[in-house]
Amino acid sequence: MAQAATAQRSTTAVRRWHLSEHKIAALVLVTPALLIIVGLRIVPLVLGAQYSLTGDGDRNGLFVGLANYRTLLDDPVFRTAVRNVGLLFLALPVAVAVPGLLATFLFLKVPGHRFYRSVYFFPVVLSPVIIGAIFNILLSFDGPLNQLLGKAGIGPVDWLGNSHIAILSVIGVHIWATFGMALVIFMAGFSTLDQSLLDAARCDGATLPQTVWHVVIPELSRTIQFVFVTTMIGMLTGMFGLIYVMTAGGPGGATYLPEFYIWVTQSQMNSPALASAASMVLFVLMLLVGLAQIRLIKRATKEV
Amino acid sequence: MRERGFGRWVVAIPMCLLALATIYPMVFTLNVAMKSRREYVLDRFSLADHLTAANIADAWNSSGLGRYTFNSVVVTAGSVALLLLLGSMAGYAFSQLTFRGRRWLFLVCLGALMIPFQVIMVPFFRVLGQIHLLDTHVGLILAYTGQFLPFTIFLMTSFYSRIPAEIVEAARVDGSTTLGVYRRIMLPLGRPALLSVGILNALFCWNDVLISLLVMQSEQHRTLMVGVTALRGQYSDNIPLFAGGVLVAALPVIAIYLFFQRQITDGVTAGSTKG
Repeated sequence: MAQAATAQRSTTAVRRWHLSEHKIAALVLVTPALLIIVGLRIVPLVLGAQYSLTGDGDRNGLFVGLANYRTLLDDPVFRTAVRNVGLLFLALPVAVAVPGLLATFLFLKVPGHRFYRSVYFFPVVLSPVIIGAIFNILLSFDGPLNQLLGKAGIGPVDWLGNSHIAILSVIGVHIWATFGMALVIFMAGFSTLDQSLLDAARCDGATLPQTVWHVVIPELSRTIQFVFVTTMIGMLTGMFGLIYVMTAGGPGGATYLPEFYIWVTQSQMNSPALASAASMVLFVLMLLVGLAQIRLIKRATKEV
Repeated sequence: MRERGFGRWVVAIPMCLLALATIYPMVFTLNVAMKSRREYVLDRFSLADHLTAANIADAWNSSGLGRYTFNSVVVTAGSVALLLLLGSMAGYAFSQLTFRGRRWLFLVCLGALMIPFQVIMVPFFRVLGQIHLLDTHVGLILAYTGQFLPFTIFLMTSFYSRIPAEIVEAARVDGSTTLGVYRRIMLPLGRPALLSVGILNALFCWNDVLISLLVMQSEQHRTLMVGVTALRGQYSDNIPLFAGGVLVAALPVIAIYLFFQRQITDGVTAGSTKG
């Protein structure tokens, strides 16, 4: 009897020890990562929100309310940056439709899709600095593209020096450099497509556009939404290198985007509080795009 | 759905042209880098007279690219090592262990995915200054680790959650501790995911310019991509030399892409199919 009792006690002791070992291990495994994420991402975000309400220069550290945000509203350069975000939204459908169409062709019609995929994806792995440098050469006023156009009788275009054209050039190069990313995501979506649906469509004599419209798009709606969100986030946060190398924000501030404005205000103008306010504006923009993403994740997890 | 004849060519020809448009700028740059300055001024498109690495060598020798490359290698290697270690540890805990607050903490990691560096740049700069890590390799490694860790944890967690519980159970029965399971099962079994995530993170770190520009302020600590941006001013009147420098900086990435293309595309699509 006594023996049985000790035996029982020792098993609970073992189990309790085991449980705590398990818990300690989990703590050891998770803590370093969480410290870094909280310390280097989340705390700075909160600090940034706080800085955005303080002043620069003489009023460093003093509470100034929304003064920085009013300064932003009045700053023509920041207004240009926001207007250029509008252009990004206009370019978004193109940046999604082109790779979507290409992926459809690769999936349905064209042999050698592996080869095309490798080629189209290649610029994605190059740094925006490298891409920007290459296009700096190609698009310069006395560069090869203008020489080619000149031979065709079209006058030289100042791709990077004209304030109306430069931002379009930069956005165009960004789309050129990143459409492979969307393409690869689309193709991953296609590989989950139910082949029998496509066979059924063919048996019913559907044409290619009909198949795309009635079968492919509804079946891939989740992938399409995912591409919309990631492409937009890419345009909002992935163009710094291109702008820095290709135009440095010029001519006359015409190619600013919020991310570039934040960097210039922090590093060149030495106005960290104003830069923080611009950061918060960018963050709200990101959240609006990201909220769509959360809704997607929720829907996805519900369906699974 | 595969059609023969006319319809197929209508699609295939634009696809080929687009493939050409994708690859041509690189080929053009390679060609320019082989030319002399005179040749380039006379004709932008003509094929280089002879294959020469003179511009590439000149760019390498005259602009400190060697030191910048060293900085990039150190920082990239350090960041990737730290990211893989911390990411696999956390991924194992989030996918295989049960502990209080697991879901909540995982959501914190996912939420951090939506904070781009641009948004936290200013306070980050100040915090790094306060702990005296500005303009140091360690500081940049920490910056990259903070930046890419949420993504790494996300991918490692979704990979490890596919490892059946029976394998872990069996190791437990054989007397492994929780940390022993990490070392003896999770690390070896996680190798494909670690390779894929590691290469992606290496590309992110190597290609970055914004974070590096902010953290590394002295010329001697520049990374390679920041060095390339400086080349433009340095060689604005000698395009072939500039092209040579650009090519040097692009070569490692091109090599990695040729060898690990599948791992890279697997990595970037891993998040998309899960939703």
